[in-house]
Amino acid sequence: MAIQKNQARVSFYDQIARNKRKSFFLIAIIIIVIVALAYVIGRAYGDVFSFLIIGIIISLIYVTIGYYASDKLALASVNAREADRQKYRQYYAVVEGLTIASGVPMPKLYVMQNSQINAFASGRNPKTSVVCVTTGALEKLSKQELEGVLGHELSHIANYDIRFMTLTAVLVGMIAIISEIFLRSLWFRSSDRDDSKGAAIFMIIGVVLAILAPIFVQLVQLAISRKREYMADASSVKFTRSPTGLVGALKKIQNENINPIKPEESKKISKTMAPLFISNPFKNSDITSTHPSLQKRIDILERM
Amino acid sequence: MAILLWIILIVIALIIIAFISYFNRFAILENRIENSSSQIDVQLKKRADLVPNLVEAVKGYMKHERAVITEVTNARKVLVGAKDLGKKIRAGDALQGALSKVFAIAENYPNLKANENFLQLQNELSSIEDKVAYARQYYNDSVLDYDNLFSTFPGNMFAGLFGKKQKDYLKIEEAERRVPKVSF
Repeated sequence: MAIQKNQARVSFYDQIARNKRKSFFLIAIIIIVIVALAYVIGRAYGDVFSFLIIGIIISLIYVTIGYYASDKLALASVNAREADRQKYRQYYAVVEGLTIASGVPMPKLYVMQNSQINAFASGRNPKTSVVCVTTGALEKLSKQELEGVLGHELSHIANYDIRFMTLTAVLVGMIAIISEIFLRSLWFRSSDRDDSKGAAIFMIIGVVLAILAPIFVQLVQLAISRKREYMADASSVKFTRSPTGLVGALKKIQNENINPIKPEESKKISKTMAPLFISNPFKNSDITSTHPSLQKRIDILERM
Repeated sequence: MAILLWIILIVIALIIIAFISYFNRFAILENRIENSSSQIDVQLKKRADLVPNLVEAVKGYMKHERAVITEVTNARKVLVGAKDLGKKIRAGDALQGALSKVFAIAENYPNLKANENFLQLQNELSSIEDKVAYARQYYNDSVLDYDNLFSTFPGNMFAGLFGKKQKDYLKIEEAERRVPKVSF
């Protein structure tokens, strides 16, 4: 028994370490793409900086709003209400217990009207964090399963995933804006300037990069999101000391996906919100999905 | 010559940075252990504070269960009087054991089980039981992080330098690990 417990402990700490490493590489790749894009655009345009300035202003506004209001936007977009302490006593008790287990400050708790089992966390740091669950999750999950799901959300908070995901979303948006501005600015470029051959080559590279970069970065973002889900699952097991609850919850979600009760309810959720949820509210299980397949997550958890 | 001077300066700067960062890391982890031990304390105090209310609620119904109720009151007294963390935790476990007996016996009293006040106390005490377990777990996690830093290179070098000592985990006594038996 004791040996088994020890093995489990080593494996989830390993999982966390591995995911941190991979996430770091992915962030590095995103930064390299931004620098490369900026360099190529700069070479192609030489002295035309006005579009870059406009781009910087727009992206600064974008970053500021994204950084400070992301949680409020997220909550408003799913129409979530602050949870009543008297009505949702178990919800509060479970989160309070988990905050003690994880050392995370108590987040604000929200509930959204939706019969699907789902939950998400948001905020820019653990002190300003929020957790939101669907009414479906509160009704259909046992206490242990709810603990697993909320442990997953709290680990997103503890690992600064909530900020990290917002920042990656902001970076991805920024690259998309820069590329867009660059491509559009080509229309206004006068053709009678004495272009050197070098500038023309950089122009072509710039066009190709500007088209490919947003696609590439988006794929990277999705991969990060998937890694973070595995990591949050591992941390949830660390907090609750047992994978049973989370496995049970994921199996219930899996069942729900096979026999959807009200498929129209997922349409109420914005696509940009998908990476925040514990399970993807939309069903696309390939490279464009923000979450790994439920079966894969269950398999990994059952091996812990 | 100038290059050699630069290398020396950089090495000194690196040593100073490492020194500060390890000093702070040890301080942060020690604070975490300190904080988690006070978390255990807070939850045990809450448990002790609820006991008089529970005894009050139960007394009228459980007239023939004097022994169990006395056990609860005595365990509470030990907990309130306990000074260091180890003793507090042992007293807290003893109190929890006594409370479990009360709740098990309460199953035989339908009137008591229908009592709103009793039910609420039972809920609160069971959520405190979870929280105590979580707080102990967090304490051990914090000790693990500290000991990892303490025993791996280069943390072990700095630990010696700062005069740090290895911390101990909270252990569950073999006797307490068994589920308390209730005899009727």
